[in-house]
Amino acid sequence: MATETKTASPSQGVTPQSSAEAHHHPPSHLKSYFVSSEQQFDAAKLGMWIFLITEMLLFSGMFVAYTVYRSQHPVAFSEASHTLNWVMGGGNTLVLLGSSLTVALAIHYAQKDKQRKAAWSLTATTLLACAFMAVKYFEWTAKFDHGVFPGEAFNPHGDHYAHLAEFPFARQFFSIYYVMTGIHAIHVLIGIGLIAWLATRAFRGHFSSAWYTPIEIVGLYWHLVDIIWIFLFPLLYLI
Amino acid sequence: MAHTEHDSHHIIPMKTLLRVFGGLVVLTILTVAVAQLDLGVLDLPVALGIAGMKSALVVLFFMALKYDRGVNSMVFTIGTVFVVIFLFFTSLDVASRGDLSNVADETISAQERRAEQLRDEEPADSLLRITPADYANAPPADSGRTAGASGDAAGEGAGGPPPGN
Repeated sequence: MATETKTASPSQGVTPQSSAEAHHHPPSHLKSYFVSSEQQFDAAKLGMWIFLITEMLLFSGMFVAYTVYRSQHPVAFSEASHTLNWVMGGGNTLVLLGSSLTVALAIHYAQKDKQRKAAWSLTATTLLACAFMAVKYFEWTAKFDHGVFPGEAFNPHGDHYAHLAEFPFARQFFSIYYVMTGIHAIHVLIGIGLIAWLATRAFRGHFSSAWYTPIEIVGLYWHLVDIIWIFLFPLLYLI
Repeated sequence: MAHTEHDSHHIIPMKTLLRVFGGLVVLTILTVAVAQLDLGVLDLPVALGIAGMKSALVVLFFMALKYDRGVNSMVFTIGTVFVVIFLFFTSLDVASRGDLSNVADETISAQERRAEQLRDEEPADSLLRITPADYANAPPADSGRTAGASGDAAGEGAGGPPPGN
């Protein structure tokens, strides 16, 4: 391990300034087992990317389930999909894209040492994420009111949903719909918690151009949540 | 070195971020507009193509993979390849399964085992009896008949019901 670190430092291309920083005035955020802040930052990011791959694979299992059932019951899936409100889904897509932008802006401002702007960007992200969840709440309760539940409890009634009872596999569509949007919503809730926490820390001046790793890492997570929705929206609402 | 093209602390210009966001909004509107048309079989590929372009924008610029170290791109690419393998090979399997609603309850090996057993089995006596009188539980009217009147009943006497019952 020791030899690895020694050979790693020249290949990292540490500039004289940053190596001096690491050896003579180690910054408080630098862990003893990293050569430089640069290396620590890169390791954190690599770890996050690997985690994001596991997230992608988690969701891909559900996308595969969707693909299989859709290919076997195209008519039922098309009918069920048309009962979803694409205005709400599309609006939520724009909200999430906006929140991705504000997270990217938070990193941009942190890198430029504009701490208050970074903090406000994170606050905006939190609010947009809450808006997403609010729309989700109205979408789901509107369905629950008409008996559109996942699984056994599926009992559609009302003008908009009653005809779904004729398609045995419409229920399958809604099971997949609730599981996919539900697990996505859990990710959004976790993101709201993390980003709100980062915003409060940013207001207290915890981040700077020298160290903003948490914003970068949570930002990567948040963008992945956005990407999942980018695929969920057309597959569930539009086709 | 610290400020080359591939630097993990690359500051993405505000203008780039805003343009990417604009592109994402335009693509979202496009995917909704296209969905109102009926493209038939093209519906799915077009929707997935637009979603793919949108996620490419997010990954390259918002997640900054374009400016990042190659190892992160490698991790992302490998992950994507596995997702594609997962989807593609499952679809191949499902597409070549035939009629899923018309399948036997038993497994194929269980069916073969049962057929083999049937072949190997000595035909039971019960399967060889052909007239009502052959049966062990034949009605008492038959056994009441005189031995001389029915040769069949006499021949089968040993295996039949005890006389006089």
